[in-house]
Amino acid sequence: MAQHLLFKDIDEPGLSTLEVYERRGGYSALRKALEMEPEDVLAELNASGIRGRGGAGFAMGKKASFLPKGSMDKYLCCNADESEPGTFKDRELMQKSPHMLIEGIVIAAYAAGINRAFIYIRGEYAEQADVLDAAVAEAERAGHLNGLPLVVHRGAGAYICGEETALLDSLEGKRGNPRLKPPFPANQGLYQGPTLINNVETLATVPHIIAMGGAEYAKLGVETSTGTKLVSVSGNVQRPGNYEIELGTPSREIIYGLAGGPPEGREVLLWFPGGSSSPVLTKDDLDLPYDFDTMAKAGSMLGSGAIIVVDDSNSVVDVALKVAKFYRHESCGKCSPCREGTNWTVKMIERMRAGEATPMDLDIMASVQTNIIGNCLCVLGDAMAMPIGSMVEKFRPEFEAYIEARRRELDRVTDEMPEPPLQVLQGAR
Amino acid sequence: MPRPQPAEITFSIDGREVAAPANMMLVDAAKRGDIEIPVFCYEPKLGQPVGACRMCLVEIEGIPKLQTACSTPVKDGMVVHTQTERVRDAQAAVVEFLLVNHPLDCPVCDKGGECPLQDISFGWGGGRSRFIEAKRHFQKPLELSPLVAIDRERCILCYRCVRFSQEVSEDYQLILQERGADTYVATFDGHPYVAPFSGNIVELCPVGALTSKPYRFRARPWDIESSASVCTLCPSQCNVTFTVRDERVLRVLGRDNEEVDDGWLCDKGRFAYQAVHVEERVTRPMVRDGGELRPVSWERALSEAASALSRARGRVGAVVGGQTTNEEGFLLQRLVREALESPHVDSSPLGSRSRADLVALANPRLQATVSDIEFAHTVLVLDCEPIDDAPILDLRIRKGVRRQRTKLVVATSRPSALDPNAVATHRFAPGEGAEFARALARHIADPLPDDDAALRDFARSLRAAGDEVVVVAGERSAVEAVALAEALGLAEVSGAGILEIPSGTNGRGLREAGCVPGSGPGYAEAPEGLSTPRIAEALSKGDLTAAYLLHVDPIRELPGRGTWEGALERATTVVAHAAFLTEGLREHATVVFPAEGHPEKEGTVTHPDGRLQRVRPAIAHQGENRAEWQVLADLMRALGVDPGVLTAGMAFQQLVEAVPFYAGLTLDTVGGRGVRWPERAQATSLPDVEREGSAVGREEARAEGEGLRLGTFRSIWAAPEVEHAPALKFLAARQRAELSPEDAQRLGIRNGERVEVGANGTRVRATVALRHDVPPGTVFLEENVAEDGANLLSGEPLVEVRRS
Repeated sequence: MAQHLLFKDIDEPGLSTLEVYERRGGYSALRKALEMEPEDVLAELNASGIRGRGGAGFAMGKKASFLPKGSMDKYLCCNADESEPGTFKDRELMQKSPHMLIEGIVIAAYAAGINRAFIYIRGEYAEQADVLDAAVAEAERAGHLNGLPLVVHRGAGAYICGEETALLDSLEGKRGNPRLKPPFPANQGLYQGPTLINNVETLATVPHIIAMGGAEYAKLGVETSTGTKLVSVSGNVQRPGNYEIELGTPSREIIYGLAGGPPEGREVLLWFPGGSSSPVLTKDDLDLPYDFDTMAKAGSMLGSGAIIVVDDSNSVVDVALKVAKFYRHESCGKCSPCREGTNWTVKMIERMRAGEATPMDLDIMASVQTNIIGNCLCVLGDAMAMPIGSMVEKFRPEFEAYIEARRRELDRVTDEMPEPPLQVLQGAR
Repeated sequence: MPRPQPAEITFSIDGREVAAPANMMLVDAAKRGDIEIPVFCYEPKLGQPVGACRMCLVEIEGIPKLQTACSTPVKDGMVVHTQTERVRDAQAAVVEFLLVNHPLDCPVCDKGGECPLQDISFGWGGGRSRFIEAKRHFQKPLELSPLVAIDRERCILCYRCVRFSQEVSEDYQLILQERGADTYVATFDGHPYVAPFSGNIVELCPVGALTSKPYRFRARPWDIESSASVCTLCPSQCNVTFTVRDERVLRVLGRDNEEVDDGWLCDKGRFAYQAVHVEERVTRPMVRDGGELRPVSWERALSEAASALSRARGRVGAVVGGQTTNEEGFLLQRLVREALESPHVDSSPLGSRSRADLVALANPRLQATVSDIEFAHTVLVLDCEPIDDAPILDLRIRKGVRRQRTKLVVATSRPSALDPNAVATHRFAPGEGAEFARALARHIADPLPDDDAALRDFARSLRAAGDEVVVVAGERSAVEAVALAEALGLAEVSGAGILEIPSGTNGRGLREAGCVPGSGPGYAEAPEGLSTPRIAEALSKGDLTAAYLLHVDPIRELPGRGTWEGALERATTVVAHAAFLTEGLREHATVVFPAEGHPEKEGTVTHPDGRLQRVRPAIAHQGENRAEWQVLADLMRALGVDPGVLTAGMAFQQLVEAVPFYAGLTLDTVGGRGVRWPERAQATSLPDVEREGSAVGREEARAEGEGLRLGTFRSIWAAPEVEHAPALKFLAARQRAELSPEDAQRLGIRNGERVEVGANGTRVRATVALRHDVPPGTVFLEENVAEDGANLLSGEPLVEVRRS
């Protein structure tokens, strides 16, 4: 069964208050950290092997060590713009245990020599932002911020602002568009200063790593995916919700064991292992261990740890449309492949629904996804192209059957030759 | 600030070994090996690359993903491929994406034939469209401004125009609205995009989305000819290309010259060409006959002018306007000095600068260049408003501040558009710029314990960033700027010095050609003569009887309108060269020769930084116009002096022979980019003239008593060319009184109200424009407007403002 770290006391009433949090041992990791040298704290984080919980899975300690040394303004931005469809773990964490995040931020800031921190929280999380505001005030009064200015900044409702450089632009008061990398935020981030950007869950794990020691933490999970992970399970399961699991747990155990699997009589059609932007897996993949490398080897990704289960009562085309529409709506429009590719894809799927497509359109759709992947300014384009591409690849017969069925259903099939659209005039009339 | 001096590196591209400066962007470095990488959003003039269009994807060995060549600095040993299947597929894919929403209506698009999207689609695209869905639709075309039309369906969202507005002109008007495929370019508040540099976005647009309203549908690229020249509408002297069809100028484009204009144009320079082709223009010589100016033959006009001037021999005063070329100025001073035996010729509206002052100002060691502005540690804007006086310098100053972290300090009487970019600003009372510069120079050379704290702080800001200081000075304070530059030791510092903005386009060249009383060509000693204001006085008194007005209408343009009215009234002969019959000429001229428009002219002008530039004719003379150097030569001949000039080239040759520091220059060496004489060995031939003590004090009327201090300024839009160009008319300057909100409140005046500004019974009508930063107790009026010019109140330091 899962090892509970972050969620150990999550349902404790009043955990969001400083009093209860401290009673449960809160802020003792901070005290421990402050007695250590910053380099040693950083070394613990490195030893823990923790990989970023936001989606990219980059080693957190390594990222923190990229920050240039020397005295200058350095920033930490906690990415609380949790917008990936299917992901709702940070919400629960911030709402129920805001001090765990704050403690993690203060420790990370100490380790990386940061003198100003921000929590960029998505605008829709108004309630959680209020909780955070109150908790930050409480922590400050109690002297737990270690002199670190910590600002909770609310976004205005854009998925793209979860992309780290767009987040920085938005935080600076600009239109939230991704920046060109390099320079990477570690060198030139917020206000052109060195900036460390981490996900809520990553930072909330920091106190636990310090408390138990990096080496001890690294014993959890599997070799390249250490520790525990919050997993948001949603879709066609009987018990949707957030679960804390040890990385490497078999996927079936999460989907069927914890979340109860699809309703009686239904089978898994496909599942997204890491939010809607991860390439889909099928029921054949259910026995894979749930960790970063296995998911990558299976052609998908662990992403934010959001498992979305789709059962066989759904059409894959509907799922594709839902996904494509989301990314079309959220594309910032800065780079051409994403802006036009998401838009084009939606139009193609809509044409399938309208019974006006042919199987040839599937080739075009697959090729459009290929043309998007790797060619965009940020990963938003890939975030649509990867799942859509995987759906076309893995469910081509379903797509073809759907196209044919819709054509018949909507009476678009005819044996007559269509009228030529333009009459060609030869010479003078 | 040291300019970047990158080392040469070698890299390999498509199997070729190519040398390029380290860290040059791959797109540019590839050109060194004759390899073109297609781009849309990349434009180095706009600052850092954004990598948005993704057109320039290339393969670099060792990097798994394709990289944008526009944002990848080239490194030694880099191995780049632009012709692999992977690159070709990616580039074709981007073209396909860009065409998804782009209408394929090239045959009816104004950009067709000179369209980068068209060219790149042919060169790098897949050649067929797989997109059969409906494209997005917008209403079209819309007016983005009265000068620019926007067709949003054609826009490929490359960001160039928005970046220009945000990061180059910093007017912050253009933005992108909405998101994703719904994104479109718009102004922030939906108001028209009206700004001094708005036309540049048309030239930047890589598709037919932004088009010039005056040029739209006037010609196809295969109908037109291009002709390179220089814009002579202001001292910036931007390098331009005229687009000509059937002897009519249809368009003006920038001709990038990093040392002059950095590739930008102001809207006046871009659209005022229209004034060359309007009915109102003078295209025939005219003579006053029965109280009216009437068109006459050239023979009659020349003989009337010659005989009238001949009668006034020795009593002729000549005033030369800023748009005069070096050759015209040179011939005019010969005409006046040799043929008319009169020493009174001046090209400065202010007068009173001694030959020694001008020589000191021309010192090559104190001469800053335009690009020095960008790389200096500090730029001081002294007693001028670049956006009005030499607009393109405003952009250069902004560029330095934004990209090189140059520190800007501003000392003016009127609030400057550059104030927000400055680390320090100082406001002196109108007319006290020279005094301030003197005080600043004295403080720097010899600080006294009881010096004013504000002065001390300002001097500190001026010197805090480093030794390389560039002083951009207005004509009124330029001589004092020399003392300041000396106090700062700028002669010893490379990349530092003074850049004077003269009040006329070719103010510098005309000085060097000898249009200064007491100073002949090359600042040679000449018989003492009267300065512009003194000419007016002498004419009014009858000491002079004839006025020669070369491209200037004193009633409109020069200070002291009252004096000039009396002067021209009394003068028996007023010979003028003019393109438009402005008020003073209509009333007083006895002979008017048509002035050439700048696209018709042949000659040279001298940039404020000493760069001689060629003005080359793009179109044939309109109507009966003749070359003006020829008119001046003909007049000399009629007055019995052989000018020795039969062609424009001979006029230039004479000038070069007369000015020692121009020695050896030919039109070929001047060429298309110009030559800076202060950089040539011959610069040492600048005469050595002893300066007598401190600069000559000018009679600035002292302000005593009650009322508001009156300051004046000349707007970029205050020019007859603007009034007569149909597209620009809406911008033509009308008299406005800039007032502080405090004074307005005290006087019970609201923004936009009509007022009268006056003193001693003289009144100027104006519309009130409240400006937050105008120092209380001051009011500013515009010079050189068609009606109600501020020069009615010259000599009145204090005025009262009252509701009319």
